[in-house]
Amino acid sequence: MSLENIVNETKAYYCLECGKCTGSCPISRVNKGYSPRLTVEKALLGFDKELLADGGIWSCMTCNLCKDRCPSNVDYTKFIRYARAEALKTGYTGNCTHGGVLSSLMRIMGNPNLKQDRLGWVSDNLKISEKGDILYFTGCLPYFETLFKDIGVNSLDIARSTVKILNRIGIKPVVMPDERCCGHDLFWTGDLENFEKIAKLNVGLIRGTGAKKVIFSCPECYRTFKQDYSEYVDMDFELVHISEFLAEKIDEGKIDFGSLEEDVTYQDPCRLGRHLGVYDPPRKVISSIQGIGLIEMEHSRERSICCGTSTWTNCDRFSEQIQKERLKEAKAAADTLITACPKCQIHLSCAMKSKTPIDEVKIKDFSVLVASAMGLGDDP
Amino acid sequence: MVDDVLVIGGGVAGIQASIDLAGRGLKVYLVERFPSIGGKMAQLDKTFPTGDCSICILAPKMMECFSHENIDVLTHAEVKGVSGNAGDFRVKILKKPRYVDEEKCTGCGDCVSACPYINLPDEFDMALRSRGNIFIPFLQAVPRVVMVDREHCVKCGNCQVICDAGAIDLYQKPEEIEIHVGAIIVACGFDSFDPSGIKEYGYGRYKNVITALEYERLVCASGPTGGHLDRPSDKKTPNSIAFIQCVGSRDVNHNPYCSSVCCMHATKEAILAKEHYPSMENYIFYTDMRAFGKGFQEYVDRAKNEYEVRYIRSKPGEITEDKETKNPVIWYDDTVTRQVKRLEVGLVVLCTALVPSKGIKELADVLGVELDKNRFFKIADPLYAPLDSSREGILVCGYCQGPKDIPEAVTQAKGAAARAAEVLACLGA
Repeated sequence: MSLENIVNETKAYYCLECGKCTGSCPISRVNKGYSPRLTVEKALLGFDKELLADGGIWSCMTCNLCKDRCPSNVDYTKFIRYARAEALKTGYTGNCTHGGVLSSLMRIMGNPNLKQDRLGWVSDNLKISEKGDILYFTGCLPYFETLFKDIGVNSLDIARSTVKILNRIGIKPVVMPDERCCGHDLFWTGDLENFEKIAKLNVGLIRGTGAKKVIFSCPECYRTFKQDYSEYVDMDFELVHISEFLAEKIDEGKIDFGSLEEDVTYQDPCRLGRHLGVYDPPRKVISSIQGIGLIEMEHSRERSICCGTSTWTNCDRFSEQIQKERLKEAKAAADTLITACPKCQIHLSCAMKSKTPIDEVKIKDFSVLVASAMGLGDDP
Repeated sequence: MVDDVLVIGGGVAGIQASIDLAGRGLKVYLVERFPSIGGKMAQLDKTFPTGDCSICILAPKMMECFSHENIDVLTHAEVKGVSGNAGDFRVKILKKPRYVDEEKCTGCGDCVSACPYINLPDEFDMALRSRGNIFIPFLQAVPRVVMVDREHCVKCGNCQVICDAGAIDLYQKPEEIEIHVGAIIVACGFDSFDPSGIKEYGYGRYKNVITALEYERLVCASGPTGGHLDRPSDKKTPNSIAFIQCVGSRDVNHNPYCSSVCCMHATKEAILAKEHYPSMENYIFYTDMRAFGKGFQEYVDRAKNEYEVRYIRSKPGEITEDKETKNPVIWYDDTVTRQVKRLEVGLVVLCTALVPSKGIKELADVLGVELDKNRFFKIADPLYAPLDSSREGILVCGYCQGPKDIPEAVTQAKGAAARAAEVLACLGA
């Protein structure tokens, strides 16, 4: 898509150049060279080459903070996504972190003949099915487990906890052995060709299980299915985030919590919060646990600050600065920070390990917290 | 066929239209929802760009209107039904009880001091002051008649005991009045947009973030602080103030239009702060400076050059708060220097959008007239019938038909009065 079309598609021509986006942007606050306003202006003034070559477009967290505040409704998040796809065609790309292993993995997933050993984590005490009404989409958790163990993040605990919770309320969810990554990062870094392959593979696989409802523990997978797959493939099953699912079960009286004496604070993942407007269900579930005090951070809900980097691209010292500020805010509220996105957990835990140490904040995943409040925490 | 006229709304536009019509010898009914006439202009400290004391220039008009033999002023009243056609409208008016006999009350205020319950937010002073269950709407209220807040009144009877005039009637009933008029002028004004939905600016969360209308009451000599700029958190004078423009206006998420007066009232408010406190630092964050009226640009230039007001072209991204000092902290993109900056100030004033007044939809339904897409009254034709509504015999003037300042509202009011007389004359009244 040409830059002119991108401007038209995102209504960037309505920009008043008021600077509300840049004044809101967590990156611009630490990285003086990055400004959403000036990025849009480059496009408006026809500086196409400069814009596509600008590394800044890969730094954007696409967290929607500026988009939601823009008085002219310019969709900057979409603008960035389109600009990246265009930049990619021209040969520009962001700095892939972790040696590019994660983006390679995602591209490999597009292969229909791929054989994965995805279910090694499903121990005997976890009950799953091959076919059924309810499916749990695990996303990249098995891969994250391998990659981020060294920073103390056990991503598969999220998957185990989710299955345990579902088992406790009488559900034996389908977990697919050949599930693919949802393609979120490919979509946001402009690789739409591979994204489309993955979307079709995943939807086909889910159809094969007969599932009517798909539960996600990862907000990125959830958003991708809910908002981005529909452009490429039709879906005939319901999509729900685990927090929404549990909030409903609490209403139905199907969840019994034990007591957990702990003050916690909650990190709104940008995909779950601003992208999908899910603010209350996770709070409702956390607050339903006896003994838990949920204390909000200075920036919460619509004003929440993102975890510092996205799509495994351009993670740099600015990301770390944002993460550390966020951790300070969390610490000011409570000793334990609950995350509902595996990437928030990884990014914030990584910042905790940085060379200039900061006050310890315990970082715990939402599903893991819920499982332990239900007395399911200590099983392997 | 009658030639009486109903004017709805007792702000400066409604008052002016009533006085003009009455001066022509026509009988006018002026209906005002609030217990006093005066409208928003009565709440302002000064007017721009002349710096006149707002109530000082309005009060004589309020009195002239109220005491005019041809004008029947009905306060605390609402129009509930309109039938008929131009030249022959039957109008139902609900006169709500104020639990005080307007004829008997002398406005002495003895009952006000006798009320033991003084803890309700005063509407006129934007809740910056408490009032009792029995109160005079404001110092210069017209009519100067007390009113009882029956929702909160415990009927202790103190006010009845102290009232020599025997004016208090706690069992007063609402009264429905039917009038017969030939034309109707609507001048129901505007309300200030509630900025608490713009979460990033912290209104309602941070005490020292206030709205411009609240600031007007703070800086006004007859206001709750006697004109001292006591900021809400600690009642101390701030060293610096930032005014933020376009809060909820020129914003498609809220109101897409320009409210048209904020660039100038912020300029005036900054000048006032400097006049009250010569060491005050003032900042105005603007999107585009709209100083289009007579004397406006010169006023802005004076603010810059004589009063050292600093104009910053930026719509701030976010306001946070310093937890110790309770100072608001503004994060903004200085679009001129292209730098993201942080500015800590003592007080933030949000220059909120001015929006169609509450209840305008219900009123439009009662009148059988249309609203435009921003919920202001639709006018028949901007060029040839700029004061006619979508229904013959009903005219609209002032802010309720679109953003404008006081002189323009008064100009329209005079036009609407003349137009009403013209409509009646054409109909052969």
